[in-house]
Amino acid sequence: MNFRILLTALTLFVFIGAASVNPVLAKEVKTIEAGDTEIDVRIFPAKGNILLLGFPCDEGKSLAEEKTASSLAEDGIEVWMPDLLSGFMLPKVRSSLSQISTESLVAIINEATKTGKKVYLIASGPDTELILRGASHWESNEENIALSGAVLMFPRLFKDSPVPGEMPKYQDAVGKTRLPILLLEGERTPNRWGLNTLSHELEKNGSKVKSKVIPNVRGYFFKRKDANRSEDVVTSQMAGLIKVSLFYLEEKESND
Amino acid sequence: MIKRIFLFAVLCFLTASAQSTNLKPFTANTPTPPLKLTDLQGKSHDLNDYKGKVVLVQFWATYCGPCRKEMPSMNKMMKKMGNVPFKILAVDMGETKEEVTRFVNEVKPEFSILMDESGKSIADWRVFAAPSNFIIDPQGKIRYTLFGGVEWDSDELIAKLKALAKP
Repeated sequence: MNFRILLTALTLFVFIGAASVNPVLAKEVKTIEAGDTEIDVRIFPAKGNILLLGFPCDEGKSLAEEKTASSLAEDGIEVWMPDLLSGFMLPKVRSSLSQISTESLVAIINEATKTGKKVYLIASGPDTELILRGASHWESNEENIALSGAVLMFPRLFKDSPVPGEMPKYQDAVGKTRLPILLLEGERTPNRWGLNTLSHELEKNGSKVKSKVIPNVRGYFFKRKDANRSEDVVTSQMAGLIKVSLFYLEEKESND
Repeated sequence: MIKRIFLFAVLCFLTASAQSTNLKPFTANTPTPPLKLTDLQGKSHDLNDYKGKVVLVQFWATYCGPCRKEMPSMNKMMKKMGNVPFKILAVDMGETKEEVTRFVNEVKPEFSILMDESGKSIADWRVFAAPSNFIIDPQGKIRYTLFGGVEWDSDELIAKLKALAKP
């Protein structure tokens, strides 16, 4: 074989390989001990007084989430992204969530509050259960510093598939926390029609809940491979969407 | 080894059959909610006007993959029901007429597509996912529900619906 062709192929291979590796944008990685487990938390530091703690459960490789976190950090909002699945050596499937210990969630929240910043929690889809579970256990110790609120993006909190004609059953963690909550849902998903019911359930322990529908997008649009133009646009504006959500939660806080 | 493969295939077949007839008897002690909506052509439909018929009320949306997939089988289902008094009312979940018309021109459902842009019937019928289906007997009572996409023209489903029509 011609040496030049071999060299070109090899160079191409190296470049493709390099391009396919997700760039890690986090400036810092902190390891938090939680019982028998160690959780790596990617940190996007910022000087502002807000810390956004996300439970992505995404094996730490979601580029869209990392870009959003970087963008938020540039605007003064510090972002922490704990890689819970890797910490517990769990596969990226929904059933893994129940195997993530509440103790680990509380340990991460505890570390976040030590920064002295106002801590907001954020998650999407079924991962939102982790926020609710962690927050309610955190609040059960009255000596703990109060968290500032939570953003639940496209929450999927049904216990089972909803039976037509019956009120849905939600995960046990629903309705246990007092955190102010903002729900974000896509317009083009049947789940938007359940927002009122979910809000009422979430309010059961005193949470103040507000919901917003994002026009022209489906649920999980920022993780879809078949995203349409509207979904691409909103994905690129995700940091702005989160900042607006925090603004709503802060407004709620100041009105209380 | 061949025996194991055969057993596995039988198991798969049985599972698939069970799913195709996964109608859930409706046991809630609640009256059938009202359903009065206009179709794409502007014609008004009231569920009460279909007493004496078996009615499939389906809540669906154009963005729902299983809804799109099962619609051709709903066309076939209407043919298979033959002379049995039967009606399909497919309620779109809050989309615009333009969006639904585009979908209908492509998928060509041969049954009534009702529009509920306000979402009132979705709340009345306690629908939280799509497709959500309700089978109404000739007396106007909900007898079965079914969540998710199915092959509506399967012999088992047709037999169950035909049985409901019998006095």
